[in-house]
Amino acid sequence: MTASTAATANGTTSSAGNAPAQADRTINFRIKRCDGPGKPSRWETFAVPVGRGANVISCLQQIAARPVTTEGTRTTPVVWDANCLEEVCGACTMVINGKVRQSCSALIDTIAPREGDTVSLEPMTKFPIIRDLWVDRARIFDNLKRVKAWVPIDGTYALGPGPRESADSQTTRYILSTCMTCGCCMEACPQFLIAENEHEWETAFIGAQAISQARLFNMHGTGKQLKGDRLDALMGPGGITDCGNAQNCVQVCPKEIPLTESIGVIGRAATVHAIASWFSGR
Amino acid sequence: MADTDGFLERHHFLLRRLHSLTGIAPISLFLMFHLTTNASIVWGRLAGHDGLTGADAAVGTFQHEVNFIHSMPMLLLIEIFGLWLPIGFHAVLGVAYALGGKNNTTQYAYQANRRYALQRLSGYFGFLFIFYHVATLRWGWTFLVPGGTQWTGEHAASTMAAAIRGSAEGFTAAGMIVAIFYMVGVSLLVFHLANGLWTSAITWGLTTTEQAQKRWGHVCTAIGAGLMLAAWSSVIGFATLDYDAARAVELGLQGAEHAPEPASEVMPGMAAKEIDETETGG
Repeated sequence: MTASTAATANGTTSSAGNAPAQADRTINFRIKRCDGPGKPSRWETFAVPVGRGANVISCLQQIAARPVTTEGTRTTPVVWDANCLEEVCGACTMVINGKVRQSCSALIDTIAPREGDTVSLEPMTKFPIIRDLWVDRARIFDNLKRVKAWVPIDGTYALGPGPRESADSQTTRYILSTCMTCGCCMEACPQFLIAENEHEWETAFIGAQAISQARLFNMHGTGKQLKGDRLDALMGPGGITDCGNAQNCVQVCPKEIPLTESIGVIGRAATVHAIASWFSGR
Repeated sequence: MADTDGFLERHHFLLRRLHSLTGIAPISLFLMFHLTTNASIVWGRLAGHDGLTGADAAVGTFQHEVNFIHSMPMLLLIEIFGLWLPIGFHAVLGVAYALGGKNNTTQYAYQANRRYALQRLSGYFGFLFIFYHVATLRWGWTFLVPGGTQWTGEHAASTMAAAIRGSAEGFTAAGMIVAIFYMVGVSLLVFHLANGLWTSAITWGLTTTEQAQKRWGHVCTAIGAGLMLAAWSSVIGFATLDYDAARAVELGLQGAEHAPEPASEVMPGMAAKEIDETETGG
């Protein structure tokens, strides 16, 4: 996890801090700030000159270079998390104008097209805050461990090549595999609530992402060896049954992963698994 | 493991699925029969009953349906194990589960998310409504009925009309509130049923694709619309019933059929009182 301020932002934005070459208007950023875990939150507003092609990240870089609010008060640079800048890593996910999405792909021309428009930025609310717009998403990784979202290949001898995969299965699995662990589906979910303490993670609702990843790996030729373990985990507290079918997950997923279909598929697998387990006496 | 995990945790999946199952059967099935029966106060006009026509035929038909139900063997056992316990189980677990979510419809005003919120609201309200409905009409808690009307199986339509209007003569102010409470209550419960049928298909894994969910959605909408019509017909039918004419029809039927006796098994005190009243008054 990398926190990017202007000081640590990658080298492609050497002009950070200067207004873009063709800045043609000024917009306002209303940002929810927080100095650290347990600290109170406050709102600060910044005026940022923008030109064509600006996105939320480039504006945050300008704010970081000149952290002065619209009232003229000098403040600390706004901290946020970012990495790939092309919507494949999920690190820069935040709540923009009330909805969760990636800040790198939030283009200013789309979300604030007119002079003087205001963009509000808030950190995600379902993950513990580190500072400003930067949150700790470690729980998502923990959720993936809960459902063993991997292919078991470790052992004492060579396993040889894995089973061949059908074209059908490839098509279904490809879209599932584009998940970037960003947290949008969990942020928008009314059933997924913040759990500050790690010991709550094992029984808190796991969210659509891990359910969909369990489906992805249950379909894998070798990964399906752990199918039973994954379903057992998903049938416990905080698993598939805690889904409330609000279906916000599929609405906000930036990768358009059919999360509600995954929930249905895992629901079916859980039904079958429960009946089979009961009759096989496990 | 077993020491730390309580009963609810160990049987998490089973309890959740039983919660879903009780919603479908017996509760949904019962409600379909219940609303169809009650709506006979409207459709009974079309069918005619034993030489009766118009509103009289509706009263006769409804009385006939009620007599049939009261003639069922072991009615009290059917009520306890087929209705009260499943509804109580569904309601108590439902409230506990609903408290584990946090609505966010202002932020994410998607249609499915609104239905998620309304599903929980209709659950809370429906629980209250069903309790009032059963307590006043079945358990004889007449102190909760404006005008103190006691519903009886021998005067099914007329006492229902008086209970919902606040008096035998017509609407009182308090009766108006009861009638509105009924209208809102049945509407929310029909929504709860239709939407619950839709989500249960995802829960159990019947609808595993978006297209299937959409298709099943149309079916659930049709079921909901039909039941809504029956529910509104019932409430409006009883609220606008001619009390004296209904009473006359019921007394006439009792003369012809020698008053159904099985009802005394269910509500001994009440039935006896009502028969006395019939003999002295009629």
